[in-house]
Amino acid sequence: MALLTQHDDSENHYVMLAKLDNVRNVSNILKAIHFKETATLFASSLGIKVTVEDSKCVQANAFIQEGVFHYFNVKDEQITFKINLTVFLECLTIFGSTSMPGISTSLKMCYAGYGCPLVLVLEEEGVLTDCTIKTLEPDEVLDFNFCSSNVINKVIMKSECLKEAFSELDMTSDVLQILMSPDPPYFRLSTFGNAGSTHSDFPKDSDMIESFTCTQTKTNRYKISLLKPSVKALGLSTRVSIRTDNRGFLSLQYMIKNEDGQVCFVEYYCAPDEDEDDEES
Amino acid sequence: MKCVIPGVNIKVFGRAIHALSKIGEELYIEPLAHGLALRTVNSSRSAYACFLFSPTFFQHYDDGTPPISDQDSDDAIRCKIAIKSCLTVFKSMSNVEKTVEKCQITLNVQKARLVFKLYCKHGIVKTHNLAFIECETLQAVFSKDMCPNQLTAQPRLLCDTVINFQSNQEEVSLIVSPEKITFKNYVDDEPDPSKVVHTALNLDPDEFDNCQIGVDTDITFCLKEFRAVLAFAEITAMPLNIKFETSGRPIVLSIDADSAFEANFVLATLAESHSQTGNSSNATTQQRTASTGSRSYASRGRLNRGRSQNQSNNYTNSNHNRFPDRNKSSNDADLMDDDFDDEILVPNIARAASVPETNTKQSHTGKAFPPCSSRSSLNTSSQDDRPSPVIQPTLHQSVLEDVHAADDDEDEDMPVPGTPPQKKFRSMFFGMSQASSAVSQETQDQNGSRSHRQVLVEDTDEEEED
Repeated sequence: MALLTQHDDSENHYVMLAKLDNVRNVSNILKAIHFKETATLFASSLGIKVTVEDSKCVQANAFIQEGVFHYFNVKDEQITFKINLTVFLECLTIFGSTSMPGISTSLKMCYAGYGCPLVLVLEEEGVLTDCTIKTLEPDEVLDFNFCSSNVINKVIMKSECLKEAFSELDMTSDVLQILMSPDPPYFRLSTFGNAGSTHSDFPKDSDMIESFTCTQTKTNRYKISLLKPSVKALGLSTRVSIRTDNRGFLSLQYMIKNEDGQVCFVEYYCAPDEDEDDEES
Repeated sequence: MKCVIPGVNIKVFGRAIHALSKIGEELYIEPLAHGLALRTVNSSRSAYACFLFSPTFFQHYDDGTPPISDQDSDDAIRCKIAIKSCLTVFKSMSNVEKTVEKCQITLNVQKARLVFKLYCKHGIVKTHNLAFIECETLQAVFSKDMCPNQLTAQPRLLCDTVINFQSNQEEVSLIVSPEKITFKNYVDDEPDPSKVVHTALNLDPDEFDNCQIGVDTDITFCLKEFRAVLAFAEITAMPLNIKFETSGRPIVLSIDADSAFEANFVLATLAESHSQTGNSSNATTQQRTASTGSRSYASRGRLNRGRSQNQSNNYTNSNHNRFPDRNKSSNDADLMDDDFDDEILVPNIARAASVPETNTKQSHTGKAFPPCSSRSSLNTSSQDDRPSPVIQPTLHQSVLEDVHAADDDEDEDMPVPGTPPQKKFRSMFFGMSQASSAVSQETQDQNGSRSHRQVLVEDTDEEEED
């Protein structure tokens, strides 16, 4: 709490200033998208979005809405910079990443504008840590142009059962094939590995499935190496929405509840594997 | 083949797969009328594991043979799969135990796939289609019933014992006498024994559920496989039966869960001395050929005469084996060796494996043996191992080649290719049945083909006897 009342005068020149009591609410959600070294951070008055991309094929976004912070102020319309996510996470978890009852680390995060470093001040039990992380020139991020109007099939389910399926994915398979259909087998994940093929079928009337809106039978393949990192987000989430659009692009949205009961979202977009492209469209 | 494992039994089945995966690399699956057999053998063929899940273990069991044909026919499909691929089905046992309600295994011959279907909670179905290779039966030849030494222990006791050995410890010795049972780490070719950690644990016979020591002995076997067996036994919490004789003969570990399943693990033990066996089998060649016909009867009779005598005999034997005495007359050795063979109806594998060396010796020392006689001696010694010709195919061939090579080139120092490595488990006791080359090899010998059949006969005899 000490941080919230300090330095009121010197804070005016920051274009972004955010404070919160429990740093884990931010660090946990960033871990869910931590599959590449660097990330692009966007800040607006609504909150922060952190984007990680790989191979121009997969993109992960973590949204931390301003409500998660106790104090959140962005002066510019939008702030964009690139940052080393690994270092950022290391700093955020400098007091340790495991939660201890009754002890939480508070965070103040400041950014003075283009070319300036991101300054983190962390405090736990009266111990202060100052971190300054260099920011990088932002790259353009991919626009997957995934519109909900083009969505063909959509399944919302509890994460629990999908966690198991994902953690046991046969990594000798190149692709993960996702079948969604209004008819049996409704929702099927398949891999084709050295040992043979594996299918996991989820019937639409399973109590794990919360919503099932599939209009056509669609089978798409995605590079398993690109999708595997999403298991991190899956592990933290309570609910997941799986959508595919008319081009076969995949959207995975994870609902993650933080320790204070607030809901944050992480989403993954993935382009289909080329071989299957446009096959049925 | 189609069978369904109910939820309560999936744990045991999955753990069995895990245990097998720690021993071998391939899983041999054979649906039999009396149950589903899962077998494996390790790459050096010094360890063999077999699980037999009886039809009562399953919710539904159909071995897939047409009802008209008799059960011994070859119609049944036997297959093997890479154990790794099977392991993916039961990768996370904690998950499997929590979520799987039943597991259906089918052999789809048309698609050449072995299909594992896991029916999980919430209506989720996971299907694994695994590629398989058709193969012959994998069968080790061993006997559990004639062993003079038998121990039965709760897995806990043995786990607590084994945990004391270092994780990189390769072999462990079991030294038994009626007064105490000792587990000791086996230290191999270390120039200075004082530089290594020696761990020995003495157990009181009272700690075992059953402790029957007929012959004081000292056997050494691989710890890795032993650990795998114990891990499985601990999960099932069922007592482990250990049966063994002397060094060089396999140790048999078994778990028998009433009627649901039985598990047998056969581990080779280290043969301590080679020269003794070499000499004796050399000398007994002729006698063997003469008496092969009646051998099984003789041994039967001997066994009936009483255990104690055999045991004392065996005791001396094992001593000799351990401390080979080169001055012993060959005649003496001969007798001993006879005793040895008579004791064990089911043949000894270590002996078979020592054959190559025997022949090398012949060609080195007594060149009086023409190639053909050494071949016949070979075949007769395989005759001794009567129930096991099944396993010998490759061995025999390589042995023959070795002999020829040694005869042609009379260089004393010539290294003989195919000679088993100097150290470790020379007992190669398993093999595939019906290895055609082996059979034809054997038919050269007049008794060879007959011996194949005798395997089956003798085995059933033994079972009836008990």
